[in-house]
Amino acid sequence: MIQNLIFMNGYGVFVWSSFVITFIVCAVVYFKTLKTLKKYEKEFAKEIEDLSIEKRKRVLENSKIASQVLSSFNKSI
Amino acid sequence: MFSFFYNSNIFIWIEKLLNFINSIFFVLLVAALSFALIFSPPDYLQGDSVRIMYVHVPAAWIGLASFTSIAILSILNFIFKIKNLILITKSIAPIGFMFTCLAIITGAIWGQPTWGTYWAWDARITSMVVLAIFYFIFIMIHKLISEGEKANRISSFVAIIGLINIPIIKFSVNWWSTLHQPASIKISGESSIHSSMLMPLLLMFFVMILYCALIFLMKYKTEIIRIKKKNLNRL
Repeated sequence: MIQNLIFMNGYGVFVWSSFVITFIVCAVVYFKTLKTLKKYEKEFAKEIEDLSIEKRKRVLENSKIASQVLSSFNKSI
Repeated sequence: MFSFFYNSNIFIWIEKLLNFINSIFFVLLVAALSFALIFSPPDYLQGDSVRIMYVHVPAAWIGLASFTSIAILSILNFIFKIKNLILITKSIAPIGFMFTCLAIITGAIWGQPTWGTYWAWDARITSMVVLAIFYFIFIMIHKLISEGEKANRISSFVAIIGLINIPIIKFSVNWWSTLHQPASIKISGESSIHSSMLMPLLLMFFVMILYCALIFLMKYKTEIIRIKKKNLNRL
């Protein structure tokens, strides 16, 4: 059965290469997208933390996004 | 009611959706791969090479659907000038481009055992290459033109022009004599594919749609953060 699954009556090389290429491309795109998202989250959280206390308080009150990014960033450290 | 469409509310929903999709994705992927590679039967003519269909067909569907969505959203943006629509099109384009390229590559691999060649300048294949070129131009416009408004206008125009290619792709197998087979799955009318192959195909399509949603949501979230970061001083 394992041999059948690997060789697929001579079509194995075509079938497996199609699936492997698709899987690798999808995985690379997933991790690249995730890395970019984390990078932006980190930069944004850092910029908020670098603000003066008063300004930071105002930003966090006015923006739900800013407060959420900051809290999730603090959780991840 | 419209408060739901504010970026801050969308942002919270993105987080919830990402967690939900992440929790079910792996199980569904394993199930879909098991059906595609093990449990589905070989074709009576093509043998096991038919299994390539389980990645090729969903990839092509997603490539076509993504560009159609981009073009429709671009038209809506021309009419209603909603900024979020541009964010959505920018987030969809790389996914559509990736799946169009995958459809072309896996199609070429499938071509060798089926037609005896990896490549032919067949109407369906050529029109898919044209679609990939439209995607590439759309993405490059946003990368190369720094002036946001101008980039949005030009990319929307490209998307609307590219929409002409979608029916050409769809009907190319009927209009011209091509190597590519006509559609086996029809929304209206009876499909010529057996349910033992149709079910794994739809499952694989669903898994790929979930993957697209994951990438789209992450890209959309990145775009929102990028904008907020740029406007931090105005908050």
